[in-house]
Amino acid sequence: MSESNKKISLISSEGEAFEVSEAVAREFEIVAHMLEDGCSGSSIPITTVDSNILGKVIEYCTKHVEVGNVEGNSEKAEKDLEEFDKRFIAVEMNTLFSLILAANYLNVKGLLNIGCQKVADTIKDMKPEEVRSIFNIENDYTPAEEEVVRKENEWAFQP
Amino acid sequence: MTSPDRKGKATTEQSSPLPSLPDDLLLTCFARVSTLHYPTLTLVSKRFQSLIASPELYKIRSTLGRTESCLYVCFGSDHDPNPRWFTLCLKPDRNVINGSSGNVLVPTSVPHSAPAHWSGLISGPSNDIYNIGGPLEDAPSSSEPGNMWVDPMVDVLDRKIYVTRGCNPNTRTWDPEGSTPHAFVSLVVRKKVYMFGSSGDSAYKPKDGQWERFWGWKPSLGWFSCCVVEKVLYRYRSEEFKWYDTKAGHWRKLKGLKGLPKFVSYGFQLVDYGGKLAVVWAELVPNGGDKKKVVWCAVITLERPKSGDEIWGEIEWCDVVCTVPKSYQLEYALDATL
Repeated sequence: MSESNKKISLISSEGEAFEVSEAVAREFEIVAHMLEDGCSGSSIPITTVDSNILGKVIEYCTKHVEVGNVEGNSEKAEKDLEEFDKRFIAVEMNTLFSLILAANYLNVKGLLNIGCQKVADTIKDMKPEEVRSIFNIENDYTPAEEEVVRKENEWAFQP
Repeated sequence: MTSPDRKGKATTEQSSPLPSLPDDLLLTCFARVSTLHYPTLTLVSKRFQSLIASPELYKIRSTLGRTESCLYVCFGSDHDPNPRWFTLCLKPDRNVINGSSGNVLVPTSVPHSAPAHWSGLISGPSNDIYNIGGPLEDAPSSSEPGNMWVDPMVDVLDRKIYVTRGCNPNTRTWDPEGSTPHAFVSLVVRKKVYMFGSSGDSAYKPKDGQWERFWGWKPSLGWFSCCVVEKVLYRYRSEEFKWYDTKAGHWRKLKGLKGLPKFVSYGFQLVDYGGKLAVVWAELVPNGGDKKKVVWCAVITLERPKSGDEIWGEIEWCDVVCTVPKSYQLEYALDATL
């Protein structure tokens, strides 16, 4: 871990620089690959992620790197990390989607996992119209089709 | 699923205050939701419907180790040549009345489903549902026209499907009067296919390629359903569940089962539902109007204490899961891992 002192700047879509240790930057697999491919520049533009989200992703990776470096007492550390993840991902739907998109783009697997799990846990007990509203999607069934679908699926709408 | 799509969405995100997830990420989320909620998600939009139906989703479930048991129930009707398929679904949380388990059977479409017969339906080695059998005139190898019905008996063992009735193994043709032992029911227990029939019972061990006669745990003749859960054979008759104790060589009563309503000994189905015992039965409702049959389902968790000579069943839930027209007959229930 001697290299972990090296600092790298990650530049958000707004041009804001976030200085992080190389170990944290390497949590972004996309960055790790760049570094391995010999990209030696000390600032890396992350053009599709805004400052707010990039800051959060860095917070997530920093915590995970820190915990990963602590030796011994792994059970407690794991529990703490779980608690951290839980609190970290308890965000509004818009932020959650942005985090998932960013985690997917930057290839931060752990974050992508907890993000998708959060979406799954949120939608599983929702009615179709509630799912539509959180996903911001239109009901693309035509009125005639919807009538058929509703009739076939009365169970879903009745108390 | 396509990365250009993903990139397009990711860049439009900046101008839109509400980011939307591309298909591949939606699938990753859906794969983490129990299939019991899929019928509800299907109602959200056509896009959701097509994603829920896509094979890709089931590949992701498998990769994530999220596969689970899925109960399918098939009804037949004299008025309708097409079988009606239903699948188990959990109602959205807030629609569940107190005391209800929230489980409902909802219609699902099984494409190209031929009229099903209870004995010829099977959840196959790759968890597709196979319906083997049908009118003999459609069988390519038949030289005899007519309306004979091939009513095979099929089992899955070591990822292979065994047709244990209806197919003549010598000629490999469909043979309703078959030269294989005539059986009423067949089961797979401990790597053997067992058949119970009028001409005696036999067991087939594919490794040795031999049929052998055996005696002992004949379930009963006639209309009944039995099933194997965790290598143990269960049956229901005369308002009692029993399991076959292979060591002792006789049937034992399944203990526990507090609160299970009584139901008649015909027109029900027992299914291995992911290591639990599922029972589906239909009951006529007196003065029930047009829809006169209620369908019940119970899921029973099974526990075998270390001593091994008793098995306890506990009702995980038991509910009316749907109402169907009087003409509907419960044909078959099966469990597929999705």
